[in-house]
Amino acid sequence: MACSSDDHLEIDEEKPTISVNYTEGFPQGCALLTRGETYNFRALVTDNSQLAAYSIDIHHNFDHHTHDDQVTECSLEEIKTAVNPLIFVENYNIEGSLTNYEINVSITIPNDIDIGDYHCAYSVTDKTGWQSRTSVDIKIIE
Amino acid sequence: MLYKTLSICLFFSLCSITYAQDSFTIKGSVVNANNLKPIENANIICKNLFAISSKTGEFIIKNVPKGSYTFNISHIGFNVKKVTVFVNSETEILPVYLEESNTTLQEVEIIAKSKQRQTKETPLVSYSVSKTFLDTNRENSLMQTLSKIPGVSTINIGSGQSKPTIRGLGFNRVAVVQNGIKHEAQQWGNDHGLEIDQQGIENIQIIKGPASLLYGSDAIAGVVDIQPNKTPLPNSFGGEVNILGESNNDLIGVSAGITTRKDKWFYRGRLTYRDFGDYKVPTDKINYENYVFELHEKNLRNTAGNEADASLGIGFVSEDIKSETVFSNVNAKNGFFANAHGLEVRSSSIDYDHSNRDIDLPFHKVNHFKITNNTAVSVGEHNLQIDLGYQNNNREEHSEPVPHGYMPTPPNTKERLFIKNTYSLNFRDAFKPTKQHDLVIGLNTEYQNNNIGGWGFLIPEYNRFTAGIFAYDQLELNSNFHVLAGLRYDVGSVDTKAYYDWYPSTINNNDGSTSYVHLQRSKDKTLNFGSLSASLGVSYIHNKTSYKINVGRSFRMPLANELASDGVNYHMYRYEKGNLELDPEISYQLDVDINHTTKLFSLGISPFVNIFQNYIYLNPTSSYYETIQIYEYTQAKVFRIGGELNASTKISKNLQLDASIEYVYSRQRSGEKEGFTLPFSPPLSGLLSAKYQFNKILFFKQPQLIADYRITAAQEEIVPPEEKTEGYQVLNMSFLADIDVFKNNLPIKIRAKLNNVFNTKYFNHTSFYRLIDVPEAGRNISLSLTVPF
Repeated sequence: MACSSDDHLEIDEEKPTISVNYTEGFPQGCALLTRGETYNFRALVTDNSQLAAYSIDIHHNFDHHTHDDQVTECSLEEIKTAVNPLIFVENYNIEGSLTNYEINVSITIPNDIDIGDYHCAYSVTDKTGWQSRTSVDIKIIE
Repeated sequence: MLYKTLSICLFFSLCSITYAQDSFTIKGSVVNANNLKPIENANIICKNLFAISSKTGEFIIKNVPKGSYTFNISHIGFNVKKVTVFVNSETEILPVYLEESNTTLQEVEIIAKSKQRQTKETPLVSYSVSKTFLDTNRENSLMQTLSKIPGVSTINIGSGQSKPTIRGLGFNRVAVVQNGIKHEAQQWGNDHGLEIDQQGIENIQIIKGPASLLYGSDAIAGVVDIQPNKTPLPNSFGGEVNILGESNNDLIGVSAGITTRKDKWFYRGRLTYRDFGDYKVPTDKINYENYVFELHEKNLRNTAGNEADASLGIGFVSEDIKSETVFSNVNAKNGFFANAHGLEVRSSSIDYDHSNRDIDLPFHKVNHFKITNNTAVSVGEHNLQIDLGYQNNNREEHSEPVPHGYMPTPPNTKERLFIKNTYSLNFRDAFKPTKQHDLVIGLNTEYQNNNIGGWGFLIPEYNRFTAGIFAYDQLELNSNFHVLAGLRYDVGSVDTKAYYDWYPSTINNNDGSTSYVHLQRSKDKTLNFGSLSASLGVSYIHNKTSYKINVGRSFRMPLANELASDGVNYHMYRYEKGNLELDPEISYQLDVDINHTTKLFSLGISPFVNIFQNYIYLNPTSSYYETIQIYEYTQAKVFRIGGELNASTKISKNLQLDASIEYVYSRQRSGEKEGFTLPFSPPLSGLLSAKYQFNKILFFKQPQLIADYRITAAQEEIVPPEEKTEGYQVLNMSFLADIDVFKNNLPIKIRAKLNNVFNTKYFNHTSFYRLIDVPEAGRNISLSLTVPF
C-alpha cells in the first residue's frame, strides 16, 4: 500500500500572529483619525516558518454591524447612512521567507469622505495558508 | 439485535359463506408482517372452536353460529392476543398485531435469518437499519439518529439539521437516496441539513464505501438508501400518532401516519410538525478568536426553528405489477446563531433575547417538494423496476444587509436564493439467465436545473445532465460462495451560466486610471465528463463466520461551484475560486468485512483502504483578493485507511453489551497541502452500550434501559483553517417500554431519553459551529409517546 516514507513529511500546524498591541502599533483601539492627515498603519506579524501576505481593510461601521476584538470598548455614534464612506482594501505580499515583519503602510485619509465610526481590519497569511486577523474600532473626525 | 423486536401482524381475511342461514365458515390466514411469510401452527382458539394455521398460514373454522366470539391467538415466539369478532353474513376484516415474547427470542431470530442470509451472501458491504433501530435511537434529525452506527457520523448545524458523513467524507460524496431516487438539494453547502422527514421511515440501507456502480456520481464515499416502505397487507388499516417533547430546546413535535389497503389499492399518509426554541449549551459565553459572546440563559441565540412535513402515497399491487407514487413536502425554517454568521462576527440591534422561540435574522427557509414513482413489473423471468422522480428544492437565506468591500448596503435581507429542479429516471431489469446467475442491467438518468437569486453570490446557475448504464452479476459458485462483478459507464454535462456583480468594484488600472466594473463571477461554460465505475467482490460463509472482500472504482462529477465559483463567501470570510480544469474525482477502495456470530456473542471487523486519484477540495492559499483570503478548488491524491470494529455479547438473559470503534486516517499525497489530512476528519471514537431488558415494572411492559457511553479521542489531525479539537466522553440514557392502555389494542410505546447526562461541555470536530468554538448541546430530556391504532 501507498502508506510509507513520506508519512513523516513535516507539516506546518501553526497560524501566524498579528498584533497592534505595542507602542508603535497603529491604530490602537478607539483611535481618532483626522481627515486630510497621513498615518502610518503599523502592526507586528510573526510566523513559525514563513510569512506570505497581509491585507488592510478600512470600512465604515455606521450601521454598527460588528465590533472589534480589542480590549477597550469604544463609544459609537448614532447609526447613519453612508454617503461617501472611505473604503480602503489593499493586499501586500511579504517577500523573502520572513518569520517576523512589521507592517508599515502610509495612508492619507481623504478630505471628502464621511466622518464617523470605522473599522480597521488587518489580516496576515503564512505560506501554508493559515491566516490570522485582528480588527480595531476607529473614528474619523473632521 | 436490530431484528429482535419484531412486531408481528396477524391478519385475517374472514369470509362467511352463507350456505346455511345462521351457520358460517371462517377463513383466515396468519402472516408475519416483517417478512410477509405465513406463520404455520398458530393456534386460534375460542371455547369449542379451534383451528391451527397450515403451512401457508391459512385456517378454516366451519359451522360457526352467528354471534360474538373472542379468540385467543397464540404461537410460540409471540405473545397471546385476544381478538373479538362478530360473525354474521358480512365479511369482516380484523387486523391483529402480536407482540414478540421475550422468552422465545431464538425462534424469532430464526424467522429473520433469511433476510440476514441474503445480506451475508451479497459481497457488497452494507448495513441495514430497521424501524426498530430508528424508533429506539431517534434523535433530532435523521442523520443524528444514524450516527450511532459505526463509521457513520454527521456534519451538524444547530439542533435540527445535519448531513451524513461516511468514514469522514460527506457533502456531495455521500448519496442520499429515497424511494430509489437520489435526494437532490444543496448538499454542497455546509449550513443546512437533509430535507427528509425522519418519521415514517421503515428501512435504510447504508453502504460505507464507493457505490457509483449502483448509484452513479456522488456515491463515491457511500450511500444512505432510504427504502420504500413495505406494501401493507390486503384489507388492513393502521396508523400511529407520535408526540415528542424535549427540554433542551423546548421542542414540541407531533407526527401522525396512516396506512390502509383494500384489495389492490393502498394509501398512506403522514403529517409531521415540529417547533423548537434556541438550544442550550453548557456554557455562559463563547470565546471565538478574540471575541467574547455572552449567552442569555445559555441559549445559543437565534437557533430556534420549525418544520412541517406532509406526504401521501398511492399504490397499486397485483400479481405482476406493483406501483406506488409518493408526494412529499418538507418545509423548514431555522435560525442561525446570531453573533457570528458563518465565521463573520456580527452585532445587531435585534433583541434576540426577548424570546428563545422567535426566528430572527439570520435564518434560512427551505422547501423540498418531491414526487416519486416506483413501479415493479414482472414479465416472464424478468423483474423490471422503473423509478421516476421530480424534486423542487427552494432555499432562501436571509441576513441583515451589511456592506462589504465595494458592495454597498444591499436593499433587502434576501442574501441567497437557490431553486433547484431535478428530474430522475431510473430503470433496471433483474433476471436469472441460469440458476447460478443473478443479473441486473440498468440505466440512471438525471437532469438538474439550478437557479439563483439574492444579493450574495456563491454558486452559479447551472444545468446538469447525467446518464449511466450499468450491469452486474451475482454468481453463486456454491451456497456459501458468491461473486459479484459489475461495470458502469456514466456521461455528464454541466452547463454553467455567467454572473456579474450587481454593484461596481473599483479597479486601479496599470496606467494609473481607475475604472468601476461590474465584475464577472462566473462564466457561460459547458463541460463534459465521462467516467467508468467497476466493482468486484466475493463473499464466503463458513459456519458462523462470513467473509467479504470488495474492490471498487467510483467517481464523482465536479460540482458547478467547484468548477465555476468566483466570488467572496463573506460568511466564511474567503474568496472561493473554482477551477474549470477539474477532472471527475476517481476513487479506488478495498473493503473487507468479517463477521462472526454465535448465540453468545458476535464480532465484526470492517477495514478499508482507499485511494483518491484526485480528491477535489477547497484549499486556503496564502494570497488575498480585496483583503479576503483566496481559497481555490484544487485536486490532490489522497490515501485513506480505517475501519470499524464491533462486538456484542449477551451477559445474561436480560443484559446485552455492545461495543464499537471507528477510525479513519487520511493523508493528502500531493498538492499544496501534501502531508495534511482532509477537512472535517472524524476523530477516533468508540461507543459502549448496555441494554437491560426488565421483565415487567408496574404497568410498563418489556421495559428496557439503555446506556450509551461515547468516548471520542482528540482530533489532532487538522488542515487549515481548522482547529484541533479535544476528546470527550458523553453518556446518554434511554428508557423504552410499552403500556397497555386499552385491552385488545396495540400498546402505547413510550421512550424517555436523557442525552448528555452530565451536561458535559464538549466540541464535535465535525460540527459546523465548531468553527466558531460553540460547544455541543447540553443536557436534554426527551419524552416520546407513540400511540398506534
